[in-house]
Formats: sequence, C-alpha cells, structure tokens
Amino acid sequence: MDISLTIFISMAVFAIGVVGVLAMRNTLIFFLSIELMLNAANLLFVAFARHWGNQTGLIWVFFVLVVAAAEAAVGLAIIINLFRSKKVVDIDQYNVLRG
Amino acid sequence: MTFFENPIQWILGCILILSSLGVILARKPVHSSISFLLALLTLAMLYLQLSAQFIAVMQILVYAGAILVIFMFVIVLFQDAYQQIARFDAQSAPSLLMAAAAIFVLALIFLGKRLVGFSPSSKEAPEGFGSVQAIGQALYVDFFFPFEAVILLFLIAVIGSLYIARKAK
Repeated sequence: MDISLTIFISMAVFAIGVVGVLAMRNTLIFFLSIELMLNAANLLFVAFARHWGNQTGLIWVFFVLVVAAAEAAVGLAIIINLFRSKKVVDIDQYNVLRG
Repeated sequence: MTFFENPIQWILGCILILSSLGVILARKPVHSSISFLLALLTLAMLYLQLSAQFIAVMQILVYAGAILVIFMFVIVLFQDAYQQIARFDAQSAPSLLMAAAAIFVLALIFLGKRLVGFSPSSKEAPEGFGSVQAIGQALYVDFFFPFEAVILLFLIAVIGSLYIARKAK
C-alpha cells in the first residue's frame, strides 16, 4: 500500500471541498463539501495509522465520524430554521449576522 | 507510485476524486448527494484496502445510513426552493477556483519533495490491526473517558437539534 498516493487522493478531495465551501451558493452543497473535507482528513488518519501500524489513528477516525454525525444533525436543523425564516436557500441571503 | 504496483488503489482514487467533483458540480442537490454516496462507498473500499475493516463498516453505517438519509429528507423538504438560485457566485468563482488550484499545486510541490524518497509501507499490518476486537479493546480500555464524553455530546446534539428545529410559537 502506497502512502504518497493516498496523501495525493486526500489532498485532492480536500481541495474540492474547499472550492465547494468557497464558491457554491446552495446551502446543501455547502454542507456536503464540509463533509467531504472531514472525509479527506479521515482518509489521511487511516493511511498513516496503517503506515505506522498504530491503532490510535483509527480511534480518532471513530471520534471524527461521531462528531460529524452530531454536526450534521445540528447543522441541518439550523438550515431548516433559516429556510423557515428567510424562504430562500441561497447562502448569500443569510446575512443577518453581518455587522 | 506507478499504476501497476497497486491498480486497485489508483482506480478507487480516480472514482473518489471524480465523484467528489460530481458533488460540487451537479445541477440538482439529489444528484450531488448520489455522488456523495458514491464517494462514501469508494472511501469505505479504500479503508478496506488499508486493512481497517471496522472503520469501513462504520463509514457505511454512519455516513450512508444516517447522515445521507437526513440530507435526503432536507432535500425533499426544500424541493422547489432550489430552482431559483444560481449555482456559482458569478463574480468570484473563477478567482476562487484559480486560488484553490494554486494552493493544491503548491502543496503538491511542497509535499512531493518530501514524499519521493518516502518508504512505501510494504510491511504487513500488525496482527488484528483494525479488527473489531482491537478497536473495541482500545475504545473501552484506553479511551474510555473520551468515549463517554462523545456519548454526552451526541445526547446534547440530539436535544439541541430538536430544540432548534421546533415550530416557533
């Protein structure tokens, strides 16, 4: 198993996630891109755990998975609430916190 | 790092990158969540390649089974609202794409110098690496307090999301 190839894949997926967060205006695509970045970090954790033969990286992946599930629940609840008050899903319209 | 040393990993990586591109480039949210599902399954297969069986099963159960189903529910809820928005922010998208590509290439050059001579992990994984027994042992013995704390976090997240999403009076 080649670790440099895995690092390259993980970097590409993370870059795609960054572009999705920065350039997309759809709230759900925005959220899916965050999940993509989390998955890229997970892949790197697993690859290095395998490389050094150390289980601790896998434990970290477990915790990242659980926190991602909690984050998805809370974030989607917030999105639903924003949609109820604004009636749009365009992320540029959600500017109530702008100073 | 040539194709013929480990073709399965190359193919899985190509599918993963293409499906992640599909997530951000699909026109409809349903299509992007379908390609997200494809990315998740490919990632699970990559985890199996890296001999982390338990994590692969957890990936499919938690992501494809729980998170993606919540996404589908929200998409159904917002069904007609997505028709009215443009996908890109027309003014800033090209410069952002250029910036992301530049960062990616710079990071690749920076890492590439270090990774050329990096020894591939050709050695076998230790006995029982990534199995349910080993992970369970580590979770319940070595990482018992973080495990309990994560349970508390999850409970708070469930209560908080119910509280946020309730109908306002």
